[in-house]
Amino acid sequence: MKISIRDAGQAKIVEVEGDVDLGTSPDLRRALFENLRLAPKLALNLAAIRYIDSSGIATLIEALKDAQRLGKDFVLYGLSPAVEQVFRLTHVVRIFQVFNTEQEALG
Amino acid sequence: MACGVQLKFVLPSDPKFLPVVRGAMCPLAEAMGWEESDCRAIALALDEALANVIRHAYHGRTDGVMELECQVSAEGLEITLLDNGEAPDKSKLCARPVGCDRPGGLGSHIIRDVMDRVSYEITAEGNRFVALKRFPKRP
Repeated sequence: MKISIRDAGQAKIVEVEGDVDLGTSPDLRRALFENLRLAPKLALNLAAIRYIDSSGIATLIEALKDAQRLGKDFVLYGLSPAVEQVFRLTHVVRIFQVFNTEQEALG
Repeated sequence: MACGVQLKFVLPSDPKFLPVVRGAMCPLAEAMGWEESDCRAIALALDEALANVIRHAYHGRTDGVMELECQVSAEGLEITLLDNGEAPDKSKLCARPVGCDRPGGLGSHIIRDVMDRVSYEITAEGNRFVALKRFPKRP
């Protein structure tokens, strides 16, 4: 799994590439928690995620809870079919703000 | 269907081996005739079963042993997973309500959603998890 971070105006964009599973989700968690503290809004690009399991979904829920505690925005965009399928299976899609594009996510 | 096809793995309880199993499971399911989304779901269910063993039976220890067998029969694909870690607490399986915003406890729901039959058993050999995915009905 590869994580890269960039600025987009006031927001931070976190881009993840590869597999998010039990072995890699702690690194994603660390990146999300660190960057939530550095900007009022954090947008996570999921388009290049090839695989995500329940530990990855749990990491996203933890980040959302942390954002709510901090009064920050945490949004997702670019769900690939593989990621969308896991969101459906875990019935979590309604708890996140999900957008198709980066522009919409930052709007 | 290619009845009798068997895939066996003996793995340490280390998450770094999870992609190896997923990498084998998807093509196997594809070769058996499942559609792409079903193949992904079957590999996910298997991955969740292995992750549960790593987390709950071995408590994150990476030196436990997981024995995995995937067997194709006339009925479908049967997955058997054996470990020697702590026995599962059946009262906690699928205890988390679906659709809530609590992290954790999602893996067992995925397994039950994807697979058609799931059982957990404590045997003399260790904890045995068995799950079956039936072949889709042909029109």
